[in-house]
Amino acid sequence: MSDTAAAHEAPTSTGIDHKKLIMWLFLASDCMFFGTLISTHLLYRKLFPAGFTDAEGHQRFIQNLFNIELTSFSTFILLMSSFLMALAVSAMHKGQIKSFRRNVLGVIFFGVIFLGCQVYEFTHFYHQGLTIQNSVLGSTFYVLTGTHGTHVAIGVLWLILLYFYSFTGKLGGHMGALDVEVAGLYWHFVDIVWIIIFTAVYLVEYLGPNGIWGSGLPAVAK
Amino acid sequence: MSHDSHHAPVACKTELAPERSDLGLIRPDRATGWIDWLTTVDHKKIGILYGAFAMFYFLVGGVEALAIRTQLARPDNDFVTARMYNQLFTMHGTTMIFLGVMPLSAAFFNFLVPLQIGARDVAFPRLNAFSLWTFVFGAFVLNASWFFEFAHLAGWFNSFDWHKALVYTDFAPANGWFSYAPLSGTFGQNGQALRFTGVGTDFWIIGIQVLGIASLAASFNFICTIINMRAKGMTMMRLPVFTWMTLVTAVLIILAFPAITVALIELMFDRTFGANFFNPSAGGQPVLWQHLFWIFGHPEVYILVLPAMGIVSEVLPTFSGKSLFGYPIIVFSGAVIGFLGFAVWSHHMFTTGLGPVPTAAFSLLTMAIAVPTGVKIFNWLGTIWGGRIRFTPPMVLALGFIWMFMCGGFSGVMHSAAPADSQQQDSYFVIAHFHYVLVGGVLLGLLSGLYFWFPKIFGRMPNAPLGYLGSALVILGFNLAFGPMHYLGLAGMPRRTHTYHAGNGWETWNMVSTYGAYMLGLGIVIIFGNLAWTAFRGKKCSNDPWDGRTLEWSLPSPVPEYNFAQAPVVATRDAFFEDKHGSKRIGSEPDGGEAGVHMPSQSWMPLVASAGFLFIGFGMPMMAMGIPHAGWMVIGGLGVLFLGIWLWALEGPGGYMLKTPVNRDAPVPTETAAH
Repeated sequence: MSDTAAAHEAPTSTGIDHKKLIMWLFLASDCMFFGTLISTHLLYRKLFPAGFTDAEGHQRFIQNLFNIELTSFSTFILLMSSFLMALAVSAMHKGQIKSFRRNVLGVIFFGVIFLGCQVYEFTHFYHQGLTIQNSVLGSTFYVLTGTHGTHVAIGVLWLILLYFYSFTGKLGGHMGALDVEVAGLYWHFVDIVWIIIFTAVYLVEYLGPNGIWGSGLPAVAK
Repeated sequence: MSHDSHHAPVACKTELAPERSDLGLIRPDRATGWIDWLTTVDHKKIGILYGAFAMFYFLVGGVEALAIRTQLARPDNDFVTARMYNQLFTMHGTTMIFLGVMPLSAAFFNFLVPLQIGARDVAFPRLNAFSLWTFVFGAFVLNASWFFEFAHLAGWFNSFDWHKALVYTDFAPANGWFSYAPLSGTFGQNGQALRFTGVGTDFWIIGIQVLGIASLAASFNFICTIINMRAKGMTMMRLPVFTWMTLVTAVLIILAFPAITVALIELMFDRTFGANFFNPSAGGQPVLWQHLFWIFGHPEVYILVLPAMGIVSEVLPTFSGKSLFGYPIIVFSGAVIGFLGFAVWSHHMFTTGLGPVPTAAFSLLTMAIAVPTGVKIFNWLGTIWGGRIRFTPPMVLALGFIWMFMCGGFSGVMHSAAPADSQQQDSYFVIAHFHYVLVGGVLLGLLSGLYFWFPKIFGRMPNAPLGYLGSALVILGFNLAFGPMHYLGLAGMPRRTHTYHAGNGWETWNMVSTYGAYMLGLGIVIIFGNLAWTAFRGKKCSNDPWDGRTLEWSLPSPVPEYNFAQAPVVATRDAFFEDKHGSKRIGSEPDGGEAGVHMPSQSWMPLVASAGFLFIGFGMPMMAMGIPHAGWMVIGGLGVLFLGIWLWALEGPGGYMLKTPVNRDAPVPTETAAH
């Protein structure tokens, strides 16, 4: 690869690397993607504020279901993973490959924790009676957060591959730093999307005495 | 592992030793023949493949259209069954839009954009090949539904248990190209997922999803190429208008396709996993599907028409001997059309009961979008006004475009008035309107582009008398076929019904329309036949037969694989025309002299990764059919996709240095000769 690297670093019209530009374009597209999913969820929350009915026929409210402490924890973890990702990108730009590996391993670890929390949450909600099939709420919640989880999982896989690739000695120089930076852009984006999902799907349910949608139930811990 | 042989510049890629990837896999670098076409990363070959597949699917969609018109020629006809009729109009619409017009536009994007901006390839050559093969496999999956349908009708599935368990057995899509929920979705409580339609809908869902991935990947690539790979001096306001319209189209695609992607995912979850997004029995709102579909679907209309507008903006100045009238305004109105295109989707839904305020707002915005379109028309008229007009087949088709597209635009403005639209909704008037826009507009524009650039693509000139004959038949037949539909629609004939009774006053014009459709079909066959013959046997022509204006005409025909022997430096709009007739010459950049120019290596990996979609595309509908273990096929497909992308990343862009004629006289280093 190195023999042709010079040719690939031909200056671009804008001075922005192709890879970085195409990642920004992908992220613009992904904004619309998540925007559509989040809109679907919010539309249905407005239409059906009451929550869902579980298998025993009990009316259930979303605030009983959420474990906001756990989700806040996993949100914090994901935020911190973005911090480590920034450190990894910075290390790569300085050519500090060992520091890059340490940080990226941290990102992977935090990403896996986040995914673990989501798996726990999904299982827990399922046992509480919220399924993809028994309500519109279940459909929108699982598909929205599940799609985000898939993005995180792809990011984790990508970083694992980058981590191992760094041992081949071929991840270096300007192109190597660029590859890591592009992965970083993706990771930060997925993180930002989660901030929005956490706000729009979780936090707003606790606004006011009846939740923002007026579900008729005080937002109390279960 | 060594790339030694790839250091030294060569005159032809077949002199190279094969390059090995990091895993020791040999890259198909020096392949010729069909392996070369399967693994090519050359934007020109990819463009030709796109064009060939698109023309094939135009014929498929055309046969479907003729079957529809044959059925409707007489009242109470039984040429096809109602069920087959539903499948025919669904596949006709889907095929023409996603497999005909979009890939033919993509063929032009691929072939022309790098040439017009003075680049040697697109920004991501392998991603470009991935877009092509993903489109090919998506198109195949969608059309394979016909094979399942015919096998079903022939009774080949009758002995299978899964077939006996099917409630609905329509194997080809039958929901219309918009697949409105709840017809395409489910009903029933608690995940019963009872369906209104058979697995044709599942073929449609996965087919469109895969085609969307192809379009998205191509659009990322083209935006990147246009923004980042312009020749020196090629500022944004010096870009040829076709390239500008490509840019606007690509931006529309990346912002509009996510809406349909999500809608398709939601519909797939409804049908396959019993979710309730559009399930009315569980509170799902079918109208949400309409919103999501048209948030994509209306920009899609401009995705279809903007490239044709770009083509016409290149053809008219060339044959009028004048520069394009009001270039900045044309570019700006193209961008405004793209922007407003996102704000008018609900005019497809006036009869759903949006309420007075949104209806008025969408009405107004829809009228507003006629303004930039009208501006373009006036600019084109201004271009030919006072020009030294030369009549050639592309010019005739481009003039036809202006006229016919205007007719479609007029009926479009009629639709923007919500009260009128609610009368016209679901009638043949709507069919007349969008065929005037899509056939009279887009198809004529694309055919004009084919005649215009064919000499550049193949170095051979299409036969002009046959071109005129085909154009005349297309324009006449098209007006005969779709003109009467205005009347039929206003006289109350509904769309999407497989027959009608005698005595409604619809008989004559339906018969006329069918004659027109066959005339249109004959015209298309003549044009495509003429072009196909030209590609292989046509008369050789010069490099610049039309006295062209933009950079691609400065190149030899057919264009060599490296495009520009020396990277051009442009000083003005219409750089080649100025170079020939004006004072500003096209300069050239020194290209590293003896080092030659860098060419990307070919690769199997885009094809391998795309093949994953083939398995996913067949696996999903087979799961819906209830065929045992079909889910493994989907998982296998995901595996192939992942494997392809992984190996793709590992093999790297590769590449070799090629000597162009400019510096080929330099001595070839001896180590190359050793291979």
